[in-house]
Amino acid sequence: MGMKIAAKPRAPLVPVGRKRCDDPRIDYKDIAYLAKFMTPQAQLQSRRRTSFCAQCQRQLKQSVKRARFMGLLPFVG
Amino acid sequence: MNQYEGMFLLDNQVVRADYKAAKALVTDMLKKHGAEITCARRWDERRLAYPIQGRLRATYLLTYFKVPGSAIVGIRRDAELDERILRNLLISVEEVPAKELELGLAEGDDYAPPPPPADDAIDREEPLVGALVPEDGESPELEGVAEDVPASLNDIEEV
Ligand SMILES: [Zn+2]
Repeated sequence: MGMKIAAKPRAPLVPVGRKRCDDPRIDYKDIAYLAKFMTPQAQLQSRRRTSFCAQCQRQLKQSVKRARFMGLLPFVG
Repeated sequence: MNQYEGMFLLDNQVVRADYKAAKALVTDMLKKHGAEITCARRWDERRLAYPIQGRLRATYLLTYFKVPGSAIVGIRRDAELDERILRNLLISVEEVPAKELELGLAEGDDYAPPPPPADDAIDREEPLVGALVPEDGESPELEGVAEDVPASLNDIEEV
């Protein structure tokens, strides 16, 4: 017996057919799009909330960083 | 030669005096470093999310150019030393997005942007906190905001 794990499958982070990998819209210049993935306090939402794959989440994080540096998005304390 | 995207944040006072000269300030500097300009255009003029060098608003110039990778360090240094350029962001790109190429090429020599609002004169009198409240009226967390602003993103960016 030993290694059996309760067989309740976790919901996939990336809903099938809803959000593709390599989202071409992720760009520091598209503030309206970046804002969709941010909290009202201008913080980036977690990958669990955005449901992006790891690579897209990384790109999202980098884009937000760039947008903040360029004065397009505020910094949060 | 590699393809780059360069965003330059220009002081509105320079833009207001002469947009063409302000644009040339950037494109001439790029050319000085051997860049071949693909296109350059006024991307936007807007209120900044936080004051930068005492400015509340500024003009964004979006450029695409080809240059040997070795020239990037010099371009950054020149942009950072020029006080008329408030910020610069240089990114290596595979190719110029078709829409950006179209918009960039559409801005001809005779292009004259609408003049930015003349609010820069009161920049220094504006309290920092007031300046950070966004236009929709929602107040963000303000503590420690200014200290988190990096002097240069390029120091930590991969190109
Ligand atoms: Zn993805």
